Amino acid sequence: MSWRRVRLLIWKEFLQLRRDRSMLPIIFIMPVLQLILFGYVIGTDVKDLRTAVVDRDGSVESRLVVDSFVNSGYFLDVAHPVDEAAMQKLLDGNKAQVAIIIPEGFSDLVREKRPTEIGIVVDGSDSKTASVASGYAQQVVAALSGKLYPGRLTASSSGVDAQVRVLFNPTMRAVNTMVPALLAFILMMSTQTTMSQAIVKERERGTLEQLFVTPIGRAEYLIGKLVPYVLIAFIQITLVFTIGTLWFKVPFNGNLLVLGAGLALFALTALGLGLMVSLLSRTRYQAQQATTFLMVPSMMLSGFVFPLESMPKILYPLSYLVPLRYILVVVRSNFLKGSGFVALWPQFLAMAIFSAAIFGFGLSRFRKQLND
Amino acid sequence: MSTAPQTDELALDVRDLRRTFKDVVAVDGVTMTVPRGEVFGLVGPDGAGKSTLIRMMATVLAPTDGDVLVFGRSVRTEAAKVKPRIGYMSQAFSLYRDLTVRENLEFFAELRGVPRKDMAARSARLLEFSGLTEFAKRQAQFLSGGMKQKLALAATLISEPDLLFLDEPTTGVDPVSRREFWRIISGLHSEGITVFVATPYMDEAERCDEIAFMTHGRIILRDTPAGMKNRVPGRVVEINASDYRAAMPIVRALPFVSSVEVSGEYLRVLVTRDDATAETGLRTALEAAGLRVDRVRPVATDLEMAFATLIPTAVLPHHDTTDEILAVAE
Repeated sequence: MSWRRVRLLIWKEFLQLRRDRSMLPIIFIMPVLQLILFGYVIGTDVKDLRTAVVDRDGSVESRLVVDSFVNSGYFLDVAHPVDEAAMQKLLDGNKAQVAIIIPEGFSDLVREKRPTEIGIVVDGSDSKTASVASGYAQQVVAALSGKLYPGRLTASSSGVDAQVRVLFNPTMRAVNTMVPALLAFILMMSTQTTMSQAIVKERERGTLEQLFVTPIGRAEYLIGKLVPYVLIAFIQITLVFTIGTLWFKVPFNGNLLVLGAGLALFALTALGLGLMVSLLSRTRYQAQQATTFLMVPSMMLSGFVFPLESMPKILYPLSYLVPLRYILVVVRSNFLKGSGFVALWPQFLAMAIFSAAIFGFGLSRFRKQLND
Repeated sequence: MSTAPQTDELALDVRDLRRTFKDVVAVDGVTMTVPRGEVFGLVGPDGAGKSTLIRMMATVLAPTDGDVLVFGRSVRTEAAKVKPRIGYMSQAFSLYRDLTVRENLEFFAELRGVPRKDMAARSARLLEFSGLTEFAKRQAQFLSGGMKQKLALAATLISEPDLLFLDEPTTGVDPVSRREFWRIISGLHSEGITVFVATPYMDEAERCDEIAFMTHGRIILRDTPAGMKNRVPGRVVEINASDYRAAMPIVRALPFVSSVEVSGEYLRVLVTRDDATAETGLRTALEAAGLRVDRVRPVATDLEMAFATLIPTAVLPHHDTTDEILAVAE
């Protein structure tokens, strides 16, 4: 192992990177852009739901219902259609996302302390908004029934749930779980894509063959290739971390050592996968396609976008094969709950096994590739 | 060669070398030696296995079977000892396009362990030698085809190898640069460097000390350029007739004609008679058929004609080398 040669390769890689005018902006703008996109677009809470009210009762109690919804901050009273047909039109035209129907005689039943109900209609065309809206509506109704029927315990099941949220994500901000997840996701995207291109590019251009006539060893070559991209990836996630905590105000309750160790271990699995793609591909285009192909199941089966709990039972075991699944648990619980190695050891172990297996396989392929 | 050369006098000792890609046999049992200090040419049609042979000799590709000894060291078991002594220039440009001329030179020099103190002098000399001094700061991708090839040669020369493998180094290069390139090779030759060069051009093959003809993965002929030509049975006569297409069958039917080739507007005929009766015979036969004959004259046998007669027509390399050069020049 000659450090002179390794340093030379790293120098060469950075020199090429500097020459590539399209690369540098991508390296620094991409993570910031992704953070902003995920932070604002996907991660933003559902607020100010446009709400139509059909008040058939027209009483003090019915106005209390409407006020409770509006005061929760999630619902915006936008229209008072005269009947359900008019309400339907508002929903169809997306003028309203939610409708509250207070039946005639509502106040009479409340005063007599007899069970009653109000109708809530939610536009289900956007499933995420719909589920969030109905969740909010149930909470509002639960609080309302406590107020209207004092002393009587309501059959609300949100008690436990609400407590969990109060503990770890009191404001229920989706961005608090999104930013930690993005650290892992951007690390994966960046290292896997650059690594998958790294070797196949040299093969395609013939420079790999030229390197083979020099005394450079496999390990030297590999380290020379990995180091620049690992450095860049860590600069990227530092950027995400900084913007995430300072701009998006995501509270960091964890430990940088645990977070760093988790991300480093995860980076190895991503680099290993990228290396494998690069070795198995004949052209850069192939490598690009393969990387995209690997990325989609990672996003779907890891709990990055969709909760693992909502996955069909048959697909659930597949999620264990996705390294991103483990790092997401690590970053999210470390970030929000401050979980350390003691709580997270199963995830660390899983990632260690993955990186050893993937990297081992990649290295053995690399050995063979020299003579192909 | 009069006596069998000693092992240490051999730059290359190829022993029953084979390489298959899946079920395609690219190199099918090549055995040959190349003495130290020679410029050795490898000719043959596309797909003959020339590049595969060179890549194995240059330690880039593992042989399926057999071995190559480079200065007595096996490419299979002692590749690390072979690499420092050789330089390899592949058919396609294989330096870093986005690095400058000087950066490429320095990169490969460092990689091959050229002492830092020698670096400046050597790269200055090579830049001068290849005429690239004024382009030292230009990125390789912005060089012309000929300059790229000279840079690639300079990069392989910076570690001062004893043996140089060149795989069609001048393909796609303009005639002026080709000539310059060969001037450089002659220079290396006089310094005692062994050069093993694959080429599709017969005029380049003429400049080699020895030539091997490769086809279908085998070396089927090996000789000096003069020796190749001497093998041709008979001598060559060139005919300039008014309609060479019509002339072809007439000439071919004559008893003392062993082969006919079209070369541009001329017919090149291999005759088995040593005296001028061949020329008169040709002229008489053509004029009897009503063709106008402008000229019938004996010419020196060239390599192209030699291969045309010595090798079955189906496996011939580039026929119209001259035309190609003209086309490039235009």
